[in-house]
Amino acid sequence: MKAFSLSARRALLWGLAVLLGSCTDPYMPDVITSPEALMVVDGYLNSQGVTTIRLSRAYGIAAKTAPPAETRATVYIEDEGGARVVLRESSTAGTYVSDNVTLNPARNVRLHFRTATGKEYASDYVPVKTTPPIDAVKWRIENNDLNIYVDTHDDTSASQYYRWETDETWEIYPVYSPGIEYSNGGIRPISARLPSICWGNQRSNAVHIAKTTGLTKDVVADFPLRRLPANSERFYSRYSILVQQQVLTRPEFEYWTLLRKNTESIGSLFDPQPSQLTGNVHCLSSPAEAVLGYVGAHSLVEKRIFISRADLPRDQRVLTGYEACVPPDTVYISGPRAARSPEATILRNAFLSQLYLPLGYVVNNGSTGYTAKPRDCIDCRTRGASVKPSFWP
Amino acid sequence: MKPVYTVLFVALFALLGRTGHAQQSEKPITGDFAHLPFEQFARQLEAQTPYRFYFDPRAVDSLFVTLQVREQPVRAVVERALQNTPFHFVVDDENRVFVSSGAAISPAPATDFYAPKAVTGAVAQEDETSNEPAARSRYVSASEYRVYTIGTAGSAAGRATLAGHIRAQKTGEPVIGASIYSEAPNVGASTDQFGAFSLTMPPGRYDLKIRGVGIKNTKRQVVLRGDGKLEIEVEEDIVALKEVVIEAEKDKNVSGMQMGLEKLDIKTMRQVPTAFGETDILRVVMTLPGVKTVGEGSTGLNVRGGATDQNLILFNDATIYNPSHLFGFFSAFNPDILQGVELYKSAIPAKYGGRLSSVLDITTREGNKKKLSGSGGIGPLTSRLTLEGPLVTDKSSFILSGRASYSDWILRQLSDKNFAQSSAGFYDITGHISHEINEKNSVYATGYFSSDRFRLASDTAYHYTNQTATLKWRHNFTNQLFGVLTGTYSHYAYDVSSTRNSVSASELKYAITQSGLKADLSYYPNSRHTVDFGGSTLLYNTQPGSLQPLGAASLVRPDVLDPERALESALYVSDKFDITPRFSVSAGLRYSFFQALGPRDVYQYVPGEPRTESTITDTVRYGANKVLANYHGPEYRLSARYSLSEKSSVKASYTRTRQYIHQLTNTASVSPTDVWKLSDATLRPQVGDQYSVGYYRNFKANTIEASVEAYYKTLRDFVDYKSGATLVLNHHIETDIINAQGKAYGVEVFVKKLTGKLNGWASYTYSRSLVQVNAATTAEMINGGNYYPSNFDKPHDFTLVGNYRFSRRFSTSLNFNYSTGRPITLPLSKYYLGNSLRVYYSDRNAYRVPDYLRLDLAVNIEGNHRVKKLAHSSWTVGVYNLTGRRNPYSIYFKSVGGQIKGYQLSIFGNPIPTITYNFKF
Repeated sequence: MKAFSLSARRALLWGLAVLLGSCTDPYMPDVITSPEALMVVDGYLNSQGVTTIRLSRAYGIAAKTAPPAETRATVYIEDEGGARVVLRESSTAGTYVSDNVTLNPARNVRLHFRTATGKEYASDYVPVKTTPPIDAVKWRIENNDLNIYVDTHDDTSASQYYRWETDETWEIYPVYSPGIEYSNGGIRPISARLPSICWGNQRSNAVHIAKTTGLTKDVVADFPLRRLPANSERFYSRYSILVQQQVLTRPEFEYWTLLRKNTESIGSLFDPQPSQLTGNVHCLSSPAEAVLGYVGAHSLVEKRIFISRADLPRDQRVLTGYEACVPPDTVYISGPRAARSPEATILRNAFLSQLYLPLGYVVNNGSTGYTAKPRDCIDCRTRGASVKPSFWP
Repeated sequence: MKPVYTVLFVALFALLGRTGHAQQSEKPITGDFAHLPFEQFARQLEAQTPYRFYFDPRAVDSLFVTLQVREQPVRAVVERALQNTPFHFVVDDENRVFVSSGAAISPAPATDFYAPKAVTGAVAQEDETSNEPAARSRYVSASEYRVYTIGTAGSAAGRATLAGHIRAQKTGEPVIGASIYSEAPNVGASTDQFGAFSLTMPPGRYDLKIRGVGIKNTKRQVVLRGDGKLEIEVEEDIVALKEVVIEAEKDKNVSGMQMGLEKLDIKTMRQVPTAFGETDILRVVMTLPGVKTVGEGSTGLNVRGGATDQNLILFNDATIYNPSHLFGFFSAFNPDILQGVELYKSAIPAKYGGRLSSVLDITTREGNKKKLSGSGGIGPLTSRLTLEGPLVTDKSSFILSGRASYSDWILRQLSDKNFAQSSAGFYDITGHISHEINEKNSVYATGYFSSDRFRLASDTAYHYTNQTATLKWRHNFTNQLFGVLTGTYSHYAYDVSSTRNSVSASELKYAITQSGLKADLSYYPNSRHTVDFGGSTLLYNTQPGSLQPLGAASLVRPDVLDPERALESALYVSDKFDITPRFSVSAGLRYSFFQALGPRDVYQYVPGEPRTESTITDTVRYGANKVLANYHGPEYRLSARYSLSEKSSVKASYTRTRQYIHQLTNTASVSPTDVWKLSDATLRPQVGDQYSVGYYRNFKANTIEASVEAYYKTLRDFVDYKSGATLVLNHHIETDIINAQGKAYGVEVFVKKLTGKLNGWASYTYSRSLVQVNAATTAEMINGGNYYPSNFDKPHDFTLVGNYRFSRRFSTSLNFNYSTGRPITLPLSKYYLGNSLRVYYSDRNAYRVPDYLRLDLAVNIEGNHRVKKLAHSSWTVGVYNLTGRRNPYSIYFKSVGGQIKGYQLSIFGNPIPTITYNFKF
């Protein structure tokens, strides 16, 4: 109740703010220079499958690099009875994965690991939750937006706290398929055709959580997961969304609530103060050290839906995503329109970087040249992967 | 110059005139006068000759004399001096020279002019009240020269008490806070909120001077033989922008008992520029030393390091729970109906209690008792209208005032369809009736209603309302004993309804109702003692929260928190004792009692462990009106003053306060949906102790007041929250609340000049406000259990409020404010978790936002000042935040698409021009 009321108040304040000449400026204070590199534990203990845990370090807020991975740690899942499941570092540095295992739901479990420098960490023991199946993933077009909703329920009322993640995939069809390329200092027939289709992908980074403790039944109906403009290029041909559902314990739910508050809704007049949020992991070797992350234990259920262009209303206009790519430019190499340079120089200047690609040969009122466009308009691999995902029909 | 004016002019001169200058042989004048102001010229002539000059200094202020004379008679010199000027002069047979412009003055006044006036010898002396040549009502000036004989001789043994009221002559309204005093011997009193005063003095003859805000200075001559009454009518000073004089308080700064008291009248407040052009009393209060606020869009006051819920805001004695409209951009009080405001920061009188940090006592005006009149204003976001008039002439009057916003209309003009579907508006209505039954009994009734409503994109609708009512009966038992019986009723409620999703459509409601009865008595046994005593009782009833489904499809489970009920009572007595004329003390004791009452379920927790759901051991059911918690304790109110000289004094005070009701808010500023919670078995009352000392000094004949006050304050058991506490619909709120301890200290330097063309005040405050949460377990501690700065800890604060009056119709006001930025919790590092970058925050309030600096300017233009005309009007044109400085209200960090960016939000990032039209008829 409070959460949605806060966002509503914020919205009206922005309205007033418009009237009052208020403004929002970027702000990066100097005080945040050399922060402590706190241990970060990201992941959960999968009670019915592969557990993936990413260990990294917190780093400077202004840094542009990737988060520093914590490599060569010894990581295992441990239950109260002392049984262990070992996680091994995968090819991605700092990512540790287990075999496909099933955890005993009757026993509390925790994550336990030791870094390469010998520091020992463990999460609190947590109960193992089993996630009920997703009833439906639905979509509707409302006010020119396509909204995607999820429904679920648990007749035993044992779940109550839910978290979802989404993974979207869509087809990309580039508008050009050139037969030539610039190589070895000149324009030649293309050696390998560029892909005619790619698959874009986006994993959710927002925290989607809901609880049903305020309802008489453990039912989630029409929980909004995703909102896209109905004419988005993602619906140009075929779009898919994978919804992953997890059931949380109450403290874990509160952790995610705070995490969302801390990163997604701080700063308006009525928002709560940020809280110093750590989680349920502790450093056993030095108890005063703060550790970030909450490690819960539960199973994961998934549901994937597809939305084809044909599913949309017939009069729904959809963008290609390449609207800015037509018409093509022309690079003239001879005739009145060409620059006064040798042809090789003109071509080298235009195409050597391979960020600008030739499309075809043109003759225009006595000038000759090549049509061309930036690579992003031509090679769909700038926007996705050209390998067809295994689940794609 | 009109004839009437001339006659009065002459009359005044005649009154001023010093008689008895014998006719002497004329002495010739010799001198060189080079561009000499006429006034000095006249004085030089007076020095050389027995002639006395009479003129209006303002009329001749642009007249300069350039003259060389050798052995000339006075008449010839003056004649040459006034040659080619519009001025004339007349010399009478007592060597009095009358200088005027326009028609020449006849030195012989109308013979019947003195007839009603009973002129006595005392009249002839110079008196500042008669320096004004402006027309004075004949009634008032006649009263000034009449000698009132009061009481019958022998009725009082050694001392007699004179009591009565001071009222405005034109409207019959009581004049509040006016001083009535005699200079020899030095005895004085000031009028209370009913305009009543009581003076006890030895029998004898006195010149009683009367000074007050918004009234013309006057005096009464009395011969006091025994106890008696004196009703005084005074002229209102109709020029609204005349110097904002708190003359009544002229030497109060030094000689008054009170410390930590700030008084403001509505005229002062009208001069301070505001963002929306409308006078806002809370904004003005925030310019006073020791008063801070976390941000511009908030009316939450932090007084001397106290929290926003520690201020008792009284509107004609009824408690106001939410003093703001529209998220705090407006205060809830319509300026047209206000009389003034008093803020007690330390040395809170024993009759007030219930809040830790301050008392903000707001009083309304009484209606015009003589004729029907009205006033109003039109501003950029709101308009207001006030009507007042007599019900029974001179006996009873009413005043009714309303205000409404049209921000709704503005929202609809916005192009964004979300805003166009939104609405936001408020209105408030205040009514006040006073009736004098007879000399000894008066009754007063006040009603107040406010409503705020806003809705966002047809999704969530908010509504909140304040309702208060006050009924007062004032009775004079004797001239030395007064009593006021007051019944109050306050109600605050909000509801939030959401209809977007039919499955979760719901309505959340909260309400608090407070009914109270109190008796306040004042006893003046003699001029050295003032005894106040009385008692009060308050009954609270709250509906702490209910969630109800809306519509048949809603699956929301109704959730209703148990209502809370409690009784808060107090008895008090205080005596102000003037031990010697230089040394006086005031000792007060208030003893307050609090009983939390059933019916209610009370959870029992494992002793010694942090309260959580898992440590609940039992639930105890208390029946209706069964006492489930009992608290009581003394509240000491001590203060002392010692005058070092006539112009300086030192004062000290110690104040203890107890508070049994707590506001639950987890946000930086006050929001309308904050709830008030009563103390109960687990939530202890807050207790505050404040020690303060001060040095007070007046300069330049009491026109400049200066003071330095220092204070140290401790706060026990005020409410803080665990991180991310749930405050709404929490059945066991005690599990989310932590008892925090606080301390605050500071020094306030204040200089005030309230007379003259240039007036205003400047204040500098150094203060700290620190909080400590040292709970039983590490998890509950904040910042490791150490003291940390509170949200409103702003060590340095400088405020300047200035007004310069170019003429009676044109003045300009300036408001400058600088303060240290408020504390903030900053992100220290970032990390990757859950597919997004997250932020790790510092210790709570470890850093500060950039300093705050703002300059506002306003120009007030008055219509002409003819007394009799259809409507008086004025314009206020202002610019808020003239420099356009982007003062950060808030700084925040957002994760957008996996990237963390910091932003600062400024509410008023540009200069905001406003224009307001006010009228009065």
